[in-house]
Amino acid sequence: MTIDQLIGAGVLAATLRLATPILLAALGGVVSERAGVVNIALEGCMLVGAFFGVVAADQSHSVVVALVAAMAVGAGLAAIHAVAAIHLRSDQIVSGMALNILALGLTSYLDYQFYGTTGTPSDLAGVPDIEIAPLAAVPFVGDVIAHQNAIVWAGLALVVLIQVFLFRTVPGLRLRAVGEHPRAAETVGIAVRQTRYWAVIASGMLAALGGAYLSLSVAHSFTDGMTGGRGFIGLAAMIFGRWTPVGALVASLIFGYGTALSFSLQGASIGDVRVPVQLLSTLPYVLTILAVAGFVGRSRPPAADGIPYETEGHA
Amino acid sequence: MKRALAFLLLATTVVAACGGNVAASPTPSATASATATAKPIQVGLVTDVGGLNDKSFNQAANTGRLNAEKDFGLKTSVIESKKQEDYVPNLTTFAQQNYDLVIAVGFLMQNAAWKVAKQFPNVKFAIIDGAPANDAGNTENLPNVANLFFKEQEAGYLVGVIAATMAKNMVGKATHNTVCSMGGIPIPPVDHYIAGYQDAIKTISPTTTILNGYSNDFVDQQKGKEVGLNHISKGCDILFQVAGGSGLGYIAAAKEKGVYAIGVDVDQIDVAPGTVITSAMKRVDKAVYDTSNAVKSGSFKAGDNFFSATNDGIAFGKLDPVVPADAKAAADKALADIKSGAIKPKTDLTVK
Amino acid sequence: MASEPQATPTGPATAPSVRQPTAQWARGPAVPVASVVFALAIGAIFVLLSGHDPIAAYIDLFRGAFGSPYDITETLIQTIPLVLAGLAVAVAFRTGLFNIGAESQLLIGAVAAGAVGARFADLPGFVLFPMVLAAGIGAGAGWAAIAGYLKAARGVNEVITTIMQNYIVVFVMHWLLQNGPMTAPNALGTPASAPIGAGAVLPIIIPNELVPLTRLHAGIFLAIAAVVVFWFLLWRTPLGYELRAVGLGARAAAQAGIDPRTRIVIAMAIAGGFAGLAGMIQVTGVFHRVFDGFSSGYGFDAIAVALLGKNSPIGIALAALLFGAFARGGSIMQANAGVSAQLVSVIEAVVLFVIAAELIVRVLTARRRERKPLEAIA
Repeated sequence: MTIDQLIGAGVLAATLRLATPILLAALGGVVSERAGVVNIALEGCMLVGAFFGVVAADQSHSVVVALVAAMAVGAGLAAIHAVAAIHLRSDQIVSGMALNILALGLTSYLDYQFYGTTGTPSDLAGVPDIEIAPLAAVPFVGDVIAHQNAIVWAGLALVVLIQVFLFRTVPGLRLRAVGEHPRAAETVGIAVRQTRYWAVIASGMLAALGGAYLSLSVAHSFTDGMTGGRGFIGLAAMIFGRWTPVGALVASLIFGYGTALSFSLQGASIGDVRVPVQLLSTLPYVLTILAVAGFVGRSRPPAADGIPYETEGHA
Repeated sequence: MKRALAFLLLATTVVAACGGNVAASPTPSATASATATAKPIQVGLVTDVGGLNDKSFNQAANTGRLNAEKDFGLKTSVIESKKQEDYVPNLTTFAQQNYDLVIAVGFLMQNAAWKVAKQFPNVKFAIIDGAPANDAGNTENLPNVANLFFKEQEAGYLVGVIAATMAKNMVGKATHNTVCSMGGIPIPPVDHYIAGYQDAIKTISPTTTILNGYSNDFVDQQKGKEVGLNHISKGCDILFQVAGGSGLGYIAAAKEKGVYAIGVDVDQIDVAPGTVITSAMKRVDKAVYDTSNAVKSGSFKAGDNFFSATNDGIAFGKLDPVVPADAKAAADKALADIKSGAIKPKTDLTVK
Repeated sequence: MASEPQATPTGPATAPSVRQPTAQWARGPAVPVASVVFALAIGAIFVLLSGHDPIAAYIDLFRGAFGSPYDITETLIQTIPLVLAGLAVAVAFRTGLFNIGAESQLLIGAVAAGAVGARFADLPGFVLFPMVLAAGIGAGAGWAAIAGYLKAARGVNEVITTIMQNYIVVFVMHWLLQNGPMTAPNALGTPASAPIGAGAVLPIIIPNELVPLTRLHAGIFLAIAAVVVFWFLLWRTPLGYELRAVGLGARAAAQAGIDPRTRIVIAMAIAGGFAGLAGMIQVTGVFHRVFDGFSSGYGFDAIAVALLGKNSPIGIALAALLFGAFARGGSIMQANAGVSAQLVSVIEAVVLFVIAAELIVRVLTARRRERKPLEAIA
């Protein structure tokens, strides 16, 4: 076990890459739950984002079109959840689970129909890396951040934007009011349901961007179920981060770091005993539990989170 | 017509009655199945939990099924298993409908195939990558089961020869004399490939550094890519993946960093042209195709059937132009030597 | 800052009701049945689009699930673990906890049952079976109690812990079975433990002369017993009352002298016990050993099962049966009608979604009755 395996530039760069999809899902969760709607369909939104991003990139040969399409489909899936949660007063968890199953079934089905025999095209337009030339020569720092993907930076920028939006702007305050005390929010003239719709749709777009990151930045292809539960990890990161964007970032980075370690430490030994590669893979999960138990502790969801809002006297 | 028959069957409550299989057939020709002579050979394929889109042996088996259907005029069906406990009922479904051949894809189904094949001695079965295993976990061959085995180590050896030759001679971007491999999880069908690969490298180019890793996943591409980036940062410039979908991420890492990759199971040269230099091929499609044909022609052979270099069940895939002639010549010679028995690739890992 | 553990982010939405457990279903099966019919109609559109005959496909779906005694027993085999895992999720929900970890609790129960069953394989059944049963339930309970303890003692949200635990168990199982202490040499091709002793195997309960080939095992009795225990525990014991009180509001419960923290640990342990029993039954009834890749996703389906069943005993059993029928019937639908397994998932999702959105169906069936006007759709 060497220092390089623990905190080398390679490990830290990998941490950022591995944290990004989880971060984007977590940000989606923050926006939705701050407005009072539990969106467990983040996983499904990621998956449709990943798939339809690839389809759009294949058809249009344009990364911009691909990302817009991915986010639009994510928004669409989230909108279905919004209708269920806000208007139909469905159980939000069941609705979310249903949409997750739907997304997995639909993307696998269409993947087989479109690309079953050939696989997704190899010349897919991918999201480019951002080369920061002045930093590239700087030792260590350059290796960590000078060649990261555009969506990694977008994720970090979104943390700042959403943090400022939620806690420093009037619309953000309104959104939080809707999640904390919808009745009061309505009495001061905030359109509760409308706000919730926009929040859920935004959460679908964010998660879909995370999915598109996996297919268009990382893999340059789509494979069934490629999101691998990151939507749920994102949900955990949201709670870990106490429903704040900055907190979600910290949580995602810790998780990403654990995952990066599980790869860099392969082959490492403790004394003479070689650490089984399978047990190394538990690192990010154990690390997350320890971090939450040790440093975060109790966290409180928005008061009206998950409760459908019924307008008074609107019969 | 078939709808009426289906309703009829719906009313039956005795399993034996389902043996008629008439309603089961989606084709109009099924109505002719009353006479045994007109009945086409029926082949049923049961995938393991990887499903048809696994970019690996389930997909290849399905290709073989579809080719056999087309070329031999068979009637075929497929069931994708969603859970491990589905294997027995899924195999039973085809057997109950008097399919002529039921193919279980994958070693996960060895015990299930044993159970079902014992119950249906008149139905022929084939297991990809396995032999019937009884409840004690021991192999117990049955007279109606063909065990379709592949010598993955031979395929690994062949691509290992190409990798070693290129590493030794510093061909193209292979400048660090370091080659790597990544498995999904450390289980025999995966490690056999890697063992053959390492064996070839140690034999041909003993000075070449060998690294091996695992993504611990057969699906997650990002994990595969991170292992790849990690390997590349240690100097690897030829990366061999044995990890299904996760392995595509390993190839993506090679593509991004401009080094070489080697595909697995099927010919993956088109996955990333210019990056993938060849593939270690295991012709599961051929095994399904040949076994279907054997049933039709009456030459079905129960017990072990090996698909190896000898009968073109194992091969290396198309080569990228960067592969030099001497590397191809070396691989061709290795192929001949494996066929003649002069080379027997190892099945145990040299570098873990 | 209040000192009592908080409800989950989802707690309020799924807050258990004080009604009798079966109240929802006692109103008659009209709404759930109409939901399924409506959902199948939507699903038919997908089947049509894929170029198949929906009526033939649905006949195969139904026939596959219930068309013969054999099919029914196969459906029940799928249903058993779903019922138990559903109870595991429901106990937690009733206590105001969101247990996403039924999957790992099931798996660890299977591992423990498999380990004990193989290690003491020579013991007679009347000794071995109780040991295996206790191991499965105990391991599930202990593992889940960790999540309960972390919540009670450190305030760690159980959603985080249980999600992480799901992954941890999978990787630990890889290790145990691939090249760890439970790995047994075998010709199965897949990493697996040694088989459990004959004394621990659950018997097949229907003679082969009656239903040829059936695999239906005595685990069904354990599942039925568990449903009864669930009902009795929650609605007929003081502990059950306390758990539900905590579920309705930790603060109020605390004021009534019920310490939510201990009840949270107990509730998670009970939940894990149910899930561990599910894993134990899969080992003793179906597979007779543990192997790598044992995971089946029951723990995730269980969330939908519990909520669809309104966290009530009968509801969970019926919802599990619905899922079991889809699992079994879906295979036949693919084999015979050629409808892809993915489309079966899509139809299943639509069914789930429509049932969740009861409102759609209430409007469709025009059964507004005593309910207050529904502003949403009108």
